[in-house]
Amino acid sequence: MERVETLTTPRKKAKRAIVIPAALLALIFVIIPATLASLGSGYLFQLASLSLIFIILATSMNLITGTTGLLCLGHAAFYGVGAYTAALLSTKFGLSFLLTLPLSGIVAGICGMLVALPTMRLVSIYFAVATLGVGEIIYVTLLNWVSLTRGPMGVSGIPPISFFGWEITGQLGSYYVVAAVMCLSVFYIYRLTHSYYGNAMRSLREDDQCAAAMGIDVAPLKIQVFSISTFFAGVAGALIAHTSGYISPDYFKFSESILILAMVVVGGLGSVPGGIIGALLLILLPEVTRDLGDFRNVAVGMVMFLSILLLPKGLLGEVSALDIARKQLGAAWDGAGAKVGWK
Amino acid sequence: MDPYLIQQIVNGLSVGMVYALIAIGFTLIFGVLNVVNFAHGEMYTIGAFAGLMLITYFGSPLFAVLLFALAAGCVAGICLERVAFKPFRRFRDEASLKSRAMREATLLSSLAVSIIIKEVLQITYGSEMQSIPQKYLLNDPIPIGPVSFSSGQFVILGASIIMLVFLQYVLYRTKIGLSIRAISNNPLGAQYVGLNVDKTIIATFALGSMLGGASGMLVGLYYGAIFPSMGFAPSVKAFVAMVMGGLASIPGAVVCAIAIGVAESIATDFVAAGWSDMIAYSFLVITLIFFPQGIFGQGRERV
Repeated sequence: MERVETLTTPRKKAKRAIVIPAALLALIFVIIPATLASLGSGYLFQLASLSLIFIILATSMNLITGTTGLLCLGHAAFYGVGAYTAALLSTKFGLSFLLTLPLSGIVAGICGMLVALPTMRLVSIYFAVATLGVGEIIYVTLLNWVSLTRGPMGVSGIPPISFFGWEITGQLGSYYVVAAVMCLSVFYIYRLTHSYYGNAMRSLREDDQCAAAMGIDVAPLKIQVFSISTFFAGVAGALIAHTSGYISPDYFKFSESILILAMVVVGGLGSVPGGIIGALLLILLPEVTRDLGDFRNVAVGMVMFLSILLLPKGLLGEVSALDIARKQLGAAWDGAGAKVGWK
Repeated sequence: MDPYLIQQIVNGLSVGMVYALIAIGFTLIFGVLNVVNFAHGEMYTIGAFAGLMLITYFGSPLFAVLLFALAAGCVAGICLERVAFKPFRRFRDEASLKSRAMREATLLSSLAVSIIIKEVLQITYGSEMQSIPQKYLLNDPIPIGPVSFSSGQFVILGASIIMLVFLQYVLYRTKIGLSIRAISNNPLGAQYVGLNVDKTIIATFALGSMLGGASGMLVGLYYGAIFPSMGFAPSVKAFVAMVMGGLASIPGAVVCAIAIGVAESIATDFVAAGWSDMIAYSFLVITLIFFPQGIFGQGRERV
C-alpha cells in the first residue's frame, strides 16, 4: 500500500498543482466578472477591485509579519506612498499607468528600504513601534505637505488605467487589470515564501540569532524582505489611485494598517491563502452585513478579537498569532525575565 | 526672555504632564504584564466622555467631574483587563509563564478591543466634537505681567502633580504598590512568595487607567475637544515617551513625556501646527536608532 501511494502521490500532486490554480484563475477572470457584469452594478465592481487590492496588501504584509515574523504597524503608509506617487506622477507629469505602476512600487520599496536600514537592528516590540512611528511620519507628511499633496483635500482627477494611450474606462477593463496585477503579485509572493529564500525568512521568525549562527545574513535579508513587502504595498497604492480616481490621506491612516493587520491575523499568519481569505472576509463581511451600517468597524474589531481568542492560528495559519506576539514582546522582556524560574 | 516663549513653555509643561499621566499607565502595565496595552488611549477617551456625561446631566462641579472621570477610568481599566487580558492567562503553570505565549497575544486583543470601544463611542455620540458648556471650559485667561496664561494650564499642572504624588504614595507606601513593584521586578518570584498575581494585575490596570481617564477629562475641557478618536494621538505620544524612557521606568517616562510636550509647543513657533506632530515621531525614531534601550532604560542584551 505504502509503495503504491508513494508512486501515485507525485502525479496526484502535479495534477492538483494544475487544477487548483486553473480553477482559481477561472474564478477570478471568468466567473466573477461574468456574474458582476450580469448583475450590472458598478458598486459591486468597485468592491471587487477593492478586495483584490486589499489581497495584495494583506499578502505583502503577511510576507513581513507572518513569514518573517516582524510586526509591522505602518503598512498603510507605504500603500499611501505608492498611491501618492502614482497620483502625482500621472496628474502632474502625465505619465501613463504602465510607468506609474512600477514607479510607485519602486518608490515605496525605496522608502521601505530607507526605513529598514536603521530599524532592522531592532527586534521585538521596538521594531513594531518604529514602524508605527514611521507610518505616522509619512501620514503627517501627506497631510501637511500641502504644496505637493494638496493636504487633506486629497488628489483628484487621477486618470484611469491606460495602455499606450488606450484608456480603459470601463469597469470590467479596470477589474481585469487589477486582477492581473493581483495574480502576479500573489504568485510572486507565493513562490517567494515557498522557496529556500522563504525558508530563510521562516528561520528569522523562529529565532534570528540562531539563523545568524547558521550563516544567514540576517540584516540584509530583513531589509530585502521589508523592501519587497513595501514594494507590493506601493503597487496596491497605484491600483487604488488609478481605479478610484481620488485619494486623500485618510485612506492611509493608522487604522488602515490595523485593518490590514487584522486581515493577516484572522486569515492566519504566514500563510498566503490565509491572507487572501482574511482580506476577503474583512472587506466583504461588512458589505454583506450592510444592515449593520455603522457597525462595520465594530465587526472588524470583533472578528479580530474573537479570532485571537478562539482561533489563535487564524483560519489557515502556519504559525500561531500567539507565537509571533510572544516573539515580538518576549525579547523586550528578556532583560528582566530571562532568569526567572529554573532554567 | 520672550514672553511668548514662556507661555509656550508653560503650555508645553501642561501638555507634557498629560502625556506623562498616560505614559505612566503604559509603563505600569508594561512593568507588570510585559505587554503593550493598545487600548490605553481608549481609557483616556472614556474618562473624557464620562466627565462630559456628568457635566451635561448633572452640571456637577469640576472636582466631582474629575473624581468621576477617575472612577470611570478605573472601572474601564478593570473591564479591559477582564476582557482582553485575562482570557489569555488561562494557564498558571510554570511552563506557560516562562513561555508567556498566552500573555502576549494580548497585544492584538487589546488592539481589537480598542477598535471596538472607539467605534461604539462613534456610533453612540457621532464622530464630531461634543459641545461642552462654556463655564466648564478651562480657558479663562490669567494675565501675569506681559504673559497671559490660561486657567487650564494650571489646573492640568496641579492635578497631574497631585496624581503623581498619589502614585508615588501608592507604589512606595502601600501593600498593593509593593506587590506591583515585586511583580514587575520578577513575576515568578513574586508568585512563589505568595503574592496574588491576578489581584495585583487588576490593581495595576485600575491605577493606570484611572490616571489615563482623568487626563483625558482635563485635556477635553482644556481644549474643548471631546471626540471618540481623541485618545489616539496623545496615547501614541505617551507611548513614545515610554519607549524613550526605557519601557519600564516611570521617572524616565515622565521626564521624556514632559520633554516631548515642551518640544512640541516650542516647535509651533517655527512650523505649522500640523507638522508639530512630527516632533514626537522623530524623537521616537531617533531614540530607537541611537538609544535603542531608551534614555533611562537599564541595559538590555538586545533590543
